[in-house]
Amino acid sequence: MFWQKEIETAPRPEILKLQLQMLNNTIERAKRSKFYSKKLENISPLKNIEQIKELPFTTKEDLRSGFPYDFLSVELGEVVRLHSSSGTTGNPTVVYHTAQDLDNWANISARCMYTAGARKNDIFQNTMGYGLFTGGLGFHYGAERLGMMTIPIGPGNSKRQAWFMQNFATTTVHILPSYALRLYHSMKEDGINPKKDLKLKMFFIGAEPHTEELRREIQELYGLKAFNSYGLSEISGPGVAFECLEQDGMHIWEDYVIPEIIDPDTLEVLPDGEEGELVLTAINRYAMPIIRYRTRDITAIIVKPCSCGRTHRRITRIKGRTDDMMIINGVNIFPVQIEKTIMNIPQASKNYIIEIGEENYMDRLSVKIEINDDTFSGTLEDLEKLKYKIEAELKSETGVSPTVSFVDQGTLPIAEGKVKRVYDLRKKNKF
Amino acid sequence: MPFHLSVFLENKPGRLEKIMKVLAENKINLSAMSLASSGKFGVVKLLVNDPQKAFNELKKQKITVTKRKIAAIVIDNIPGSFYDLLRKLSDKGANIEDCYGFLLNDGKTAAMVLEIENQPAAENILKDIDANMLDESKIYNY
Repeated sequence: MFWQKEIETAPRPEILKLQLQMLNNTIERAKRSKFYSKKLENISPLKNIEQIKELPFTTKEDLRSGFPYDFLSVELGEVVRLHSSSGTTGNPTVVYHTAQDLDNWANISARCMYTAGARKNDIFQNTMGYGLFTGGLGFHYGAERLGMMTIPIGPGNSKRQAWFMQNFATTTVHILPSYALRLYHSMKEDGINPKKDLKLKMFFIGAEPHTEELRREIQELYGLKAFNSYGLSEISGPGVAFECLEQDGMHIWEDYVIPEIIDPDTLEVLPDGEEGELVLTAINRYAMPIIRYRTRDITAIIVKPCSCGRTHRRITRIKGRTDDMMIINGVNIFPVQIEKTIMNIPQASKNYIIEIGEENYMDRLSVKIEINDDTFSGTLEDLEKLKYKIEAELKSETGVSPTVSFVDQGTLPIAEGKVKRVYDLRKKNKF
Repeated sequence: MPFHLSVFLENKPGRLEKIMKVLAENKINLSAMSLASSGKFGVVKLLVNDPQKAFNELKKQKITVTKRKIAAIVIDNIPGSFYDLLRKLSDKGANIEDCYGFLLNDGKTAAMVLEIENQPAAENILKDIDANMLDESKIYNY
């Protein structure tokens, strides 16, 4: 049942005690870095865990401006790996790991997959990108730690993915939710029915915000369980929080991070159950401890204990990022609201993009959906009916009136990686 | 019943051309067509000499295509003949989804291609009014 029963089911007071001790150690280690030596100068060891509120926040901009080594808390000689964002918009965010960090990360990733039911006899196919992106290597080492035979196939090449799944009887797959859909359609074209022809048992899905509807769709198409995964490269990567068999929120590993939820405007800490921005403090990292990191991810902490027996609290599905939010004529909309609506209309294809433009000084939200081969009846009337139906549903979900149009199959810019769905074509700084 | 092809297309330069290129490259002859647009997208109906082959080839090129049942009715090429046909059809409550026509080789008669709602009731209606149906082989190769 448990990868590390004692720690996963520890009574709450014990977890809090452990967190306080680990947090104080982290503060001391962090003070060795250039950035935190100033920021934490006057912080003495905390007496209780609530005092975490007194510590300063760390933002993505801090990480960028501290490029390359301001956050490093150990000698460079102790560092064995770095991961990095692409850095296309300024300095990249670089994260360093000691051997101990990688060991802890592998353990926490193994715990995630074990929690979802993966065991050493499973065959694990890792379709996440290897390299600077943390999705691939993070779970790769976790899966090996768990003892699964690991296929480090990486992303893309759907025919090859299916070939490996068939020939090696893959049971567990780490995959982007958008790619799971794309892969299914590729298999269908090649006459492969994953329910009959493959031995898949579970998917680990993450790295993109997605809806419950999309998860159900993936489970239905493949006939398996899809477990939500949460992580971010600034903390280490995937493995920060994960779903158990209950599939009702993700356990956030509280011997690895301390989660808080804040109001992103007032920066006040919110009580459990309220939705806000997730703030994380990594308490088991050495090369680069990170204190009260503003993730910009919107979620809430679930108050109710989980029936699986784990005492680490859960967070709800990530609703979006504070910076994913679109403001359309003053109305706040998250892309996941649009996805949810489209997923709920069976005749609509699941391949879409969102464009925000301007028309007569007003914002204009338009959704382009690829026409679905299976549901195209052949009459313009049915297409128009579907268009009006989607528009009406989107209006009721978002409060604005988007325009829906249909486009040819295969014309939307879809990569076999993270899918860019939102295109903001508005002129910046229009005032 | 015979069928024609209904193809989805975006209302953008080159889209109709792309469909015609597939027909041209596969030596498929187009007899008649109709096109309806709803602003940014539309539907084109194609009557071709080898509809099954055209269907397969269009699919191969990832073009969204479906088959639709049709009836081709021969009428005289004189004033009032289409009116007579439509009057009989509307008396029976048949509603026409789509319609286009082409002149037959003799020049004295024409074929009206109709997509009628409520299949298969439409087939009975056509029998009832004793419509002069163009033979399936002749629809594709008149």
